[in-house]
Amino acid sequence: MIEAHQLTKRYGDKTAVDDISFTIAPGSVTGFLGPNGAGKSTTMRMIMGLDRPTSGTVTVNGMAYARHRAPLREVGALLDAKAVHTGRSARSHLRTMAATHNIPAARVDEVIEMTGLATVARKRVGGFSLGMGQRLGIASAMLGDPRTLILDEPVNGLDPEGVQWVRRLVRSLADEGRTVFLSSHLMSEMAQTADQLLVIGRGRIIAAGPVQQVIDSVSAAAVRVRSPRATELAALLEADGAAVTSSAPGALELRGIDAERVGELACAHGIALHELSPRSASLEEAYMTLTQDAVEYRSDGTATAPTAPKGENR
Amino acid sequence: MSTITATAAAVHPTVARPAVEARPSFLGILRGEWRKLLSLRSTWWVLGATVVLITGISLAVAASVDAMAADPVTAPTLATTNGAEFVSGGFQIGMLTIAVLGALLITGEYSTGMIHSTFAAVPTRVPVLLAKAIALSVLTAAVAALSIALSYLVTMPQLAEHDLVPALDDARTWQVFGGTVYFLIAAALFSLGVGTLLRSSAGAITVALTVLLLLPGVLAFISLNWVETIARYLPLPASGAFLGGSEDSLSSGGEQLTAATGLLVIAAYALLPLLAGAVVLRRRDA
Repeated sequence: MIEAHQLTKRYGDKTAVDDISFTIAPGSVTGFLGPNGAGKSTTMRMIMGLDRPTSGTVTVNGMAYARHRAPLREVGALLDAKAVHTGRSARSHLRTMAATHNIPAARVDEVIEMTGLATVARKRVGGFSLGMGQRLGIASAMLGDPRTLILDEPVNGLDPEGVQWVRRLVRSLADEGRTVFLSSHLMSEMAQTADQLLVIGRGRIIAAGPVQQVIDSVSAAAVRVRSPRATELAALLEADGAAVTSSAPGALELRGIDAERVGELACAHGIALHELSPRSASLEEAYMTLTQDAVEYRSDGTATAPTAPKGENR
Repeated sequence: MSTITATAAAVHPTVARPAVEARPSFLGILRGEWRKLLSLRSTWWVLGATVVLITGISLAVAASVDAMAADPVTAPTLATTNGAEFVSGGFQIGMLTIAVLGALLITGEYSTGMIHSTFAAVPTRVPVLLAKAIALSVLTAAVAALSIALSYLVTMPQLAEHDLVPALDDARTWQVFGGTVYFLIAAALFSLGVGTLLRSSAGAITVALTVLLLLPGVLAFISLNWVETIARYLPLPASGAFLGGSEDSLSSGGEQLTAATGLLVIAAYALLPLLAGAVVLRRRDA
C-alpha cells in the first residue's frame, strides 16, 4: 500500500510534482504512466525517501519509508538500472546490500537464479548491457522479499523475452497480494501489464482507475462516413445530435452517434454511402488525448506523443 | 515467446514460503561497507600503491643519510634526529593515495548512482557514513602499519651504518610511528568528509590534495604574519608537531605547535568535514 497526500516537489522554480494524491492498493499491478519528464521518477524517489517532498507526505505500508525498521523487507525498488557501482560484480553488489539487513547469502544466490544472472554474477557490472542491468536492479529489489515493489521503467532495454518475464513476474507478485507499482511512458506496455493506471502529466494526475476505464474515458468512439451527398447528410446527422467535422470534401467525422444509426438515417433519405466505418480510438490515441497538454518536450510543431525513451532516468 | 530459455523463464514465484530473514543492524551496515571497500579493484590498486610508495620513498630517504653525514651543514641535524623519522619518511606520498581512496569511497557512489541503492537500504543515511569512516580507518591503519613495518625492514641496513635504526623500546620511535598512522587515518577521513560535502570525485580530490599537500608549500612563499599563522595550522605542518622533523618542516617560519595542539588540529581536520557531511547528507536529495 502506497499513499501519497498532496505530494509536491519543486526544484528551484520548476515544479516536478504538483500536489498529487493517490493510493496504490496491494494485490494488483498499478501502472504509472506518463511522458518523459512528467514526474514519475521524482514521485518514486520521494516514496523511497531519496528526495524530500517540498510539501505533502507519502507513506508505504502505513509509514514513511525511512521509518521502517527493515526497509528492504517493506519495499524493493528498481529506480534506475545503473544504481550500482560499475567496478563491483553483480554478486558483490547484492552481498553489500544484503549485509545491511543481515540477509543470508543463500537469498542472494536465490535472487541471482531468479533473475537469470547466474552466469554473469561474478562479472563486473560495468560491462553489463542495459537489460542485464535491469535484471540486477530487479534482483536487488527482490532481495528483502518485500511487500511492495516499485519499478521505474522495468522493461527499458529488455529483449522481448525479458519483457515477457517481467510481465509474468509482476503478475505473480501481485497475485501473492503484494503491492506492485511500475512506471512506463508506453501505453501499450501498461495495457498489457497493469490492472490499474495512474496517468501523470506535467506533475499532475490526469487520470486514475482500472486500465479499461481510463481508456474508455478518453476514447469516445468515432464514425467515419464518405458520401457524394455529404453536406445534406451532415445536416441530417446534426439534427439527430451528432457532432460533425469534415476533414476532406465528401468525408465526415462523427462523434456522439453510432454507425447503425448513420446507416439507417442515410437509407431512410436515400443517400448513398461510399464508406461507413466505426473507429474506436487506439491505445496510443487515448494516451495522446490524455497527455496532449502534458507533454513537456515535443518535436518541433507537431504534437507527437513521446515513444522513444530518451534517458530521463539518471 | 514459448521458447524455454535457461535463464529468465525459470521464474518460481515466492509464494507462501518462510519470510526472508532480514534484521538490519549497525554491524550489518559496517560489514556491508567493509565488503564494498574490499570488492573494488581500485581499492587494492590504491592500497598497493600506498605500500610501495611509502616504502620506496623511505628507502630513498634512508639512502640519502650517507650524503647528510658527509655534509658538515646537515651532519649536526642528523645527530639529533630519531631514526624513526627516516623510516616514516614516505608518509607524505602515502597521504596522497590514501586521500584519493577516502574521497572515492563516497564520490564513487554518487558518480555511479550506487548511492541510491545504498540509501534505499539505509534510509537514515548517517549510519552509512559512520560505517564508511570506521571501515576506512581500519583499512588505513592496517596499510600504514604494514608500510612502516616494511620501511623499517628495508631501511635497516642503511640506517645501521649510522647507528640510526630506531630503537623499538624508545617511546620517541612509537610516537613517530603512531603519529604517522594517526595522520594517515586523519587524511583519509578528511577526504571522506570533503567527498561527502562535494559529491564529485574531481572536486573532492582537488580540494583534499590542495589542503593536505599543496597549500603548505604555496603559503611558505608568503611572509605575512597571519599567513604564517594559518600555514602552521595546515595539516602537514601541524603534523610536524608530533612527527618531528622540526628543522626542515615547512612551518620553520614561526614557532611550532605543541604536540598536543598538533594532535587536536589534525583531529579537527578529520572530524569537522565528516560532521558537516553528516548534516548535509540527511538534508539533501540523494
